[in-house]
Amino acid sequence: MDCEQARDRFSSLWEKEVSPFEEKIFKEHLSSCPKCQREFEQFEKTMRWLHSVGEVEVPEGFLPELYRKIKEKKRAIPGEKSRGRWFHFPLSFKLPVQAVAMMAIVFLVLYLTKMMPMEGDRLKETKQTSSPLSVQEKPEQVLTQKEGEGERRALETPTETPRPKDVEQAKAPVPKEGKLEEASVPQVKAEAKKREAPARSAEAIGYQAVDSNKAARVKTPSPEPGKIERELAVQEKSLVASKPPQEIVLRISDRKKVISRLHELVKQFGGEVVTTEGDSFLASLPTGSFSGFEKELAGLSSSGKTDLLMAKKHATGSLRLEQGAKREEGGEKSKGSEGLAADTESRTIVRILLVEE
Amino acid sequence: MSTSPKIQKEVIENCKAGDEKAFAEIVLHRQKKVFNIAYRMLGNSEEAKDLAQEVFISVFESIKDLKEEIKFDAWLTQITLNHCRNRWKYLKRRQYFSSHSLDDPIETEDGSVPRAVYDPSDNPEILFEKKMIQQWIQRGLLELKEDRRELLVLRDLQGFSYEEMGESLGLPEGTIKSKLHRARMDLKEVLERSTH
Repeated sequence: MDCEQARDRFSSLWEKEVSPFEEKIFKEHLSSCPKCQREFEQFEKTMRWLHSVGEVEVPEGFLPELYRKIKEKKRAIPGEKSRGRWFHFPLSFKLPVQAVAMMAIVFLVLYLTKMMPMEGDRLKETKQTSSPLSVQEKPEQVLTQKEGEGERRALETPTETPRPKDVEQAKAPVPKEGKLEEASVPQVKAEAKKREAPARSAEAIGYQAVDSNKAARVKTPSPEPGKIERELAVQEKSLVASKPPQEIVLRISDRKKVISRLHELVKQFGGEVVTTEGDSFLASLPTGSFSGFEKELAGLSSSGKTDLLMAKKHATGSLRLEQGAKREEGGEKSKGSEGLAADTESRTIVRILLVEE
Repeated sequence: MSTSPKIQKEVIENCKAGDEKAFAEIVLHRQKKVFNIAYRMLGNSEEAKDLAQEVFISVFESIKDLKEEIKFDAWLTQITLNHCRNRWKYLKRRQYFSSHSLDDPIETEDGSVPRAVYDPSDNPEILFEKKMIQQWIQRGLLELKEDRRELLVLRDLQGFSYEEMGESLGLPEGTIKSKLHRARMDLKEVLERSTH
């Protein structure tokens, strides 16, 4: 038996839980090992001291005090009990409150920083989704937009856009105010109906081939009379430019004289010179007076005749058809532009080229 | 508890039924044991009294949940040790035991006595006085680890059998024996240190 084994048996030996043989071996080791012997002696002393410690008496009044405490606990109302806990263990309750407050702050910050941009993104998304419409969806949307615009303009134009006929009607003597109201209301309604009818038909057709430029041009409302005239001039020029002009080559000897005479002739036949580019003149003439104008022009020529380069016969009918189509496409053509169309239908565009001999 | 007479099963059943007399009987039978365990575990009479009363309040409140009346003593010891552990932690956090040392004056019922610096065995007339030794051992116990102190208190001070200790602590007998031996050797070293 070594020292460690001997020391491990101190408790067993003290409690007499070792066999006589083990006790004999242990005592032999102690007799041969003064250190273990001294250790065992110290152990025995400690155990004797420990076992000499007696029980202490319970303080007086233990049981009555215990009853008093139990009664106090019984008397405590559950609400008061929880309030007491609040007071005694403030941290255990404050912590969740702080956590809840932190969570609330975090959610608020998240809402302010992230949720708002997300709403912006949603708006963007809605814009994006609305813009790249599918082929089937787009015309429908255009249709609805046009319908909306058409209806709005049909309601707005009678009051906002005074057209020449409206002006004439306004200038015309009106016997009574009551009658004016009665007369003007159906007129306005009829006009609105007139405009709505082509507009709807144009919308029905126009989705196959919508000339957006023309439509926009025709649609453009003209709020003031001065503007109407300017627009009419612009539209006339554009219409003139769109027509294929007849070209007449005029052989001349005295250039200045011929030019002044040419201007006079154009005015004489109710036309006007649209553009002048060197020896090239573009003039607009009433179709009815074109033959007379041509004859007078032949008189100016040094050779006494003109060379008609393009096919003289202007397809007035085809032009009329073209104008009609344009009107249908536009759908919302004003009466002023209709009048202009009527005028340009009976006009012939002539390009006169002066060739000096 | 080995040294205390066994509480009759009927008393426990009556207490479970809410009989205050039965509860008082249980308290009177077990108050000394509970108080002494608490006192040896905490080393303070006032704390031990308060703790022992809390133990009995817990018994009063939860005895109805006790399924086996035969295990009442083991159950009571478990409650007592749990209260002691909680109170020990509570007092340690407040550094209740920080100033306590084996070299401090020993508190007795007759007042403070200067600690002897000699080996008690050298001056038996002075150092072997019963109360002084009790206090000296008590200080030695408080310097041990809590689980080892429990073993010494139950076995060497309260006289628990290994079986009772096993029931109360939930440990096998062999483990209890080896741990108990380690605890005794620790106490021996603590007491030896204090004399040199």
